[in-house]
Amino acid sequence: MIQVHELTKHYSDLRRGQIVALGGIGFRAKPGQIFGLLGPNGAGKTTALRVLSTILKPTSGTATIDGFDVLTQSAQVRSRIGFMSANTAVYDRMTGWETVEYFGRLHGIPRDELHGRMEALFARLKMNDTRDILGAKMSTGMKQKVSVARAVIHDPPVLIFDEATAGLDVLVARALLMTVAELREQGKCIIFSTHIMREAEKLCDRIAILHRGRILAEGTLEEIRDRHHERDLEELFFQLISHYDEEAVDSGQWAVGSGQ
Amino acid sequence: MTFANVKLIVAREIRDQMRDRRTLFVIVVLPILLYPLLGMSLFQVSQFLREQSVRVLVVGSDDSVESLPLFGIDGQFDERLFLDAKRAKLLEVEFAPSSRPKDFDPRKYARNQLQSGKCDVAIFFPADFAERLQKFPESVQFRETDSAVAQQREPSPRRIEKPARTGQPEKPAVESGAAAQPPPIPNPEIIYTTANEKSQIAFRRLSEVMQRWTEIIGENALREAGLPVVALRPFTTEQADLAGGTGLRGAAGWAKILPVMLLLWALTGAFYPAIDLCAGEKERGTLETLLSSPAERSEIVVGKLLTIMLFSILTAVLNLLSVAFTGWIVLSKLGSFGPPPPLALLWISLALLPVAALFSAVCLALAAFARSSKEGQYYLMPVLLITMPLVVLPMSPGAQLNLGYSLIPISGIVLLLKTLLEGNYLPALQYAPVVVGVTVVACLVAIRWAIDQFNSESVLFSGSERLDLKLWLKRLYRDRTPTPTVPAAVCCAVVILMLQFFVGLSVDPQKTIAGFTKAVLVPQLAVILTPVLLMTLFLASKPRETLLLKLPHWSALPVAFLAALAMHPVMTVVQRSVMELYPADPHLGRELGWLLEIIRKGDLWLLLLLVGLTPAVCEELAARGFVLSGLRRLGYKWRAIVLSAVFFGLMHLILQQSVNAFIVGLVLGYIAVQSGSIFPCMVFHFTHNSLVILSGRITPELCERRPKLYWILAPLETGGVEYRWEFIVFCGIVAALALAAFGRLSYVKTPEERLREAIARGKAKNPEAKDISVSVASMIE
Repeated sequence: MIQVHELTKHYSDLRRGQIVALGGIGFRAKPGQIFGLLGPNGAGKTTALRVLSTILKPTSGTATIDGFDVLTQSAQVRSRIGFMSANTAVYDRMTGWETVEYFGRLHGIPRDELHGRMEALFARLKMNDTRDILGAKMSTGMKQKVSVARAVIHDPPVLIFDEATAGLDVLVARALLMTVAELREQGKCIIFSTHIMREAEKLCDRIAILHRGRILAEGTLEEIRDRHHERDLEELFFQLISHYDEEAVDSGQWAVGSGQ
Repeated sequence: MTFANVKLIVAREIRDQMRDRRTLFVIVVLPILLYPLLGMSLFQVSQFLREQSVRVLVVGSDDSVESLPLFGIDGQFDERLFLDAKRAKLLEVEFAPSSRPKDFDPRKYARNQLQSGKCDVAIFFPADFAERLQKFPESVQFRETDSAVAQQREPSPRRIEKPARTGQPEKPAVESGAAAQPPPIPNPEIIYTTANEKSQIAFRRLSEVMQRWTEIIGENALREAGLPVVALRPFTTEQADLAGGTGLRGAAGWAKILPVMLLLWALTGAFYPAIDLCAGEKERGTLETLLSSPAERSEIVVGKLLTIMLFSILTAVLNLLSVAFTGWIVLSKLGSFGPPPPLALLWISLALLPVAALFSAVCLALAAFARSSKEGQYYLMPVLLITMPLVVLPMSPGAQLNLGYSLIPISGIVLLLKTLLEGNYLPALQYAPVVVGVTVVACLVAIRWAIDQFNSESVLFSGSERLDLKLWLKRLYRDRTPTPTVPAAVCCAVVILMLQFFVGLSVDPQKTIAGFTKAVLVPQLAVILTPVLLMTLFLASKPRETLLLKLPHWSALPVAFLAALAMHPVMTVVQRSVMELYPADPHLGRELGWLLEIIRKGDLWLLLLLVGLTPAVCEELAARGFVLSGLRRLGYKWRAIVLSAVFFGLMHLILQQSVNAFIVGLVLGYIAVQSGSIFPCMVFHFTHNSLVILSGRITPELCERRPKLYWILAPLETGGVEYRWEFIVFCGIVAALALAAFGRLSYVKTPEERLREAIARGKAKNPEAKDISVSVASMIE
């Protein structure tokens, strides 16, 4: 469903020069699976997911979603994904109902069918209280529900969640994680990026640990634990990252991600 | 692009804007309230200013001034001196105190009083003024008598009669001749200050009174001398205003007001929604949501553009209606100013659409740059500074709608509207297609620019980095790319143009061959070549590739030479048309006359070196080397060529030359891209410039000596020669063939151009698109 091969993305930064945000990552994710992208801040998670959702163009390499290339067939890709991140806000001057309806219409769903879907979705996500409230007056939890509804209204086969629980309180975050798990049960292929180990442990079928634009480990949680002889994910994560940084310093290649 | 998505985006954006109180206030409430309030204020203020009286201090060497017939018994100006007696009250007369110290200086006193604000204007009557004024009628008689004496040397009955009437002692005619002529009346002096507006008003009022008094004295003197008063004013000029009573006088006024209002409000109405729809959306984080939706970037841009256009139109219409209504009410009270012409609404409606589209696209593209609404607000002033001259200059009294003005975006529309509102339909209809065409092209370019902004990651996701000049320069050098980036190319062009402007202002060449040499070499070497070489070394890691210092295909050099030869006759036609469109300023022609003289008569080899070779090297390295190489990283070959040609045109500073240079720049850009080398461009440029010098030396006399020249040249009635049209057509075909030959050369695409092509193919659902994207992306690396 999602295939990423040698994907790179470079930025130019005033202080750090040419930044290698992604240094040739590759992975695959299948339907009915949650693929976790685990990494510290600045690891390249958001960049990777923005490339997958066609917001950014890759510098090199390929990524396909449902067989469509993110660079050359971006329109087809966008119609097959639902993208949501901590940064994706809802419109201040639109109600929850209007926001979801707007994106549903952009996805080409006929009005009658769309309204049927919206009724069901609003009921399922228990968000009928957001129907007539303007975005500017919604609570964070309400906004998050509207964002989820907006992302899934067109029933996409692929869902991309970029640090979707960042800044949420425990209750709202838990509700969101449950929704994501439900979506997996419906056969969606989900990419879920986070820097919270517990979320990854609870939710993800496969994970990739990303650091300085490189994937340091990839597989199921069990596979990674066995490979690195460490049961505690947080400890494992810390070891991998420290080891990578030490090697980079030793070899004088403190290049990836730092641009130095 | 699907219209359904555009419609959805437009509907959402309109709803969004209509729920924004600030937008509603600026678009609806402000125009409804602003102009009536402004009109009322204007009315009140003007009334206040007009009706305010001013203080006039009257000073003289003695108290006799108070008895002047200028003043009535109440000590104020005589009401008969005013056309409207009520206006007498607008001048309050005060006399200098009668008790005066010994060293009293009336002039100094008046100045002090004026400077201390105790009066608004002062009038000083010199000593003997009153006495001599009294004797003035007598002096008129004497003068009249003088002439009579000179002619007849006989007594005149009038001469005897008049002195008796004025109570003067009777004098014999001979005795009262030239020797006894009374001295002239000393001139009174009005003291005022232009540093104070009220003093200026007082000066004007007092001057009118004095003028009228002088006339009355003159009339009386003539009357008393028995001369007809009509001699003072032999005739008056009658006025016949064809527009009087037809409402056309108001039309001329409206023709000045409405186009300016229309454009400025269309711009303002577009600017604020554009900031909110782009920068505001970035700020609120909703842009990322929209970009990941199925809507294409072009659909998003067009949707936002239509929304901005709608608000631009609404703002302009509401403001115009409000200003027209208020203006009509207020101005009709102040003077004879009728309502706007009946067809004004139609013309304005027709003009509003392209104007709004153009401004909306420009504002949208600019707003995409802004990271926040606050930053976006800062862009308003530069936009206004660029737009204002284009709007206001065509309103200058001498500006008439012609082809030249029609070709200038915005100015053309302003003049077309002005012409239509004045009721001059024939010239308006004549140039309307040109104005509409230019505006549509400008709109399309601006829309394209806006779409490009939305496709640029650096524009959409630029972070708010703190500016550190040292770091920035360090980074420029450290991260320099093989060929310069687009901003580096633009920066180079701007630096060269600015240096050219300032050097041009500061250097005033001596009108000699040495001065000419300096005037050519300094700009070419110091202003063009030096910045280009420095920037190449500093900003590009592959200088040879940047400046196209590569040997071309062997055929490129002779073909470039041939193309330049063949282009020359064609360019003379272009040059002539340009001169007809934009006639050269005669003053400038006289100023540059010495230059033409040097070109015609100076040393040929030196001229070929200065005018031929030097620009061929320096300008080519700049325009086709650094700038074009940088612009090609846009990924569009033709866009880069056109932009580099625009830069090349602007480098030539004089408008008439710039148009010509732009066309040559297009050809040179094409040659540079197709051959991949700067050398054919240098050959073309050298040949082209050399032909300009050589053709300046071909005179009818030379043709007489070498009659074969008449095969290609024809004598002009005005003297001089021009190419025969058959030869021009032939050369045009040869030039086209030469350029076609360049088209057959193996053109090397930049990685960006290949990427654009791959994306275009991907969109066309080419099954190989994925492979192409991999290879292209790798190539960029």
